[in-house]
Amino acid sequence: MSSFKQLQLYVRWKGRDLLIEMVNVSKKFGDGFRALHNVSINIKNGEFVFIVGQSGAGKSTLIKLLLKEISADSGSIIINNKDISKLKRKEIPYLRRNIGVVFQDFRLLQDKTVYENVAFAMEVIEAPGKDIRRKVPIVLSLVGLSKKSDLYPHQLSGGEQQRVSLARAIVNGPSILIADEPTGNLDPDTSWEIMKNLNEINHRGTTVLMATHAKDIVDSMKKRVIEIEEGIVIRDEQRGGYEV
Amino acid sequence: MKIRTIRYFIRQSFSSLWRNKAMSVAAISSVFAALLVIGIFLTVVLNVDYLATRLESQVEIKVYVNDGLSTEVINAMNKDIKGLSGVKDSMFLSKEKALEEFTEQLGENSNLLDGLEEDNPLADSFIVTMEDPRMASNVTTAISAMSNVENVVYGKEELEKLLNITYLLRVGSLTIVFILVLISIFIISNTIKLTVFARRKEIGIMKYVGATDGFVKGPFFAEGILMGLLGSIVSIAIICIGYHFGIRYIEQQSLGFISITLLPIASVFYNLSFSLVLIGIIIGSLGSMISIRKFLKV
Repeated sequence: MSSFKQLQLYVRWKGRDLLIEMVNVSKKFGDGFRALHNVSINIKNGEFVFIVGQSGAGKSTLIKLLLKEISADSGSIIINNKDISKLKRKEIPYLRRNIGVVFQDFRLLQDKTVYENVAFAMEVIEAPGKDIRRKVPIVLSLVGLSKKSDLYPHQLSGGEQQRVSLARAIVNGPSILIADEPTGNLDPDTSWEIMKNLNEINHRGTTVLMATHAKDIVDSMKKRVIEIEEGIVIRDEQRGGYEV
Repeated sequence: MKIRTIRYFIRQSFSSLWRNKAMSVAAISSVFAALLVIGIFLTVVLNVDYLATRLESQVEIKVYVNDGLSTEVINAMNKDIKGLSGVKDSMFLSKEKALEEFTEQLGENSNLLDGLEEDNPLADSFIVTMEDPRMASNVTTAISAMSNVENVVYGKEELEKLLNITYLLRVGSLTIVFILVLISIFIISNTIKLTVFARRKEIGIMKYVGATDGFVKGPFFAEGILMGLLGSIVSIAIICIGYHFGIRYIEQQSLGFISITLLPIASVFYNLSFSLVLIGIIIGSLGSMISIRKFLKV
């Protein structure tokens, strides 16, 4: 096989391997605030990526763009070989079914049990009841909450609540999991529990994107780190730390 | 849409109605209040319409004919008149019969007519009743052109006034009902907005996990219909009970010689319940769709 052909194959394989591809993405808000400027990021299938930076650096804007909660002013965002800037409003739900999200404040429904909160994510995408009854216990055991499935969120600790929201985020089998400051409300020990869960989810093949301020977590996990400052990517290194 | 999904919507709407009890009661009460006003108004309109129709059907054309016509001629004329379009019935009234009726009407003063039997000043006539009173003018012209007709009389001006009034009543009442419906949709959308607001977190989560707009709207749509239905049932019940007692009271009040006849309750119920349930469902579903719109932008 000629080396040219090999290169071609490699490029094609590489292309398929790319999960998220942001090219020169910029976003300004109505008041002229420059949230992101010419951001280009490539994320491969199966990666674990930390996004760090101070509050207001543009981390949340980045996440909102990926979820198509807002649209970029310029540049393109390609997820799973699909340019999401051209997505119609009706197609957005189907993009989101492929992206699980976890927030700092858990966002659980207080009047539903642990089981119901997780099942809710499947019900609203019209999954068959049979699938729901089969999959919810599996993800609950994955995050170690099998015994608490009938409790309500207020009966759980913060770490347990975050694990419920993790279970909810992955129950539909997304290829990407976005965690926005998932340990922001948790004490260090509990945070480590969550990181173990995230690592486990990553090992099972889900790409994890985590925006965080937690220096010690980033430093000890030795994963890829993308640092954003005033809307610009100032650092992107494999096996990096919180600071250079 | 899958049957499973529709079942889910209905189940959700019931449980949401039950969970937000205070809010549901408020929303159902506003539907009820709006429908009560609309319902009472419709009841009045139905009765006015009923009255108008009765008055219209009482429109008579009197056709005076020449004296001493043979029975064959009279029968032929009667047939011709009945054949005119818009005519319901035609009846021959001989001058002897007319005098008898006149005498009866005068009652104890009938002695004024004594002696007139010998030299009856009244004329033979046809009494024509109308199927469609708007055709009265045409019918009059047609009859006037017939031979042996002396004079045709009908309350032209009175009839036209009556027709105008009933027309205005019908158009006006429809307009007012339409305005009332719009106002109620506005009030109800505001009430439901509160229930949606209370559940904005749930809506946000649904949107984040990839629920379609239609799926998010579904339960609220079902809830709106349910609230409209409940509100309309209560208002129908109260209006019918009120009507049942009201009709007795009003009909007992004899206003001199004019007797008021109202529609029977069964007919009111029949006409009212369908429209009120329909209006209730429209108000509830539109109200909830209007109020949910801005919460879908996540």
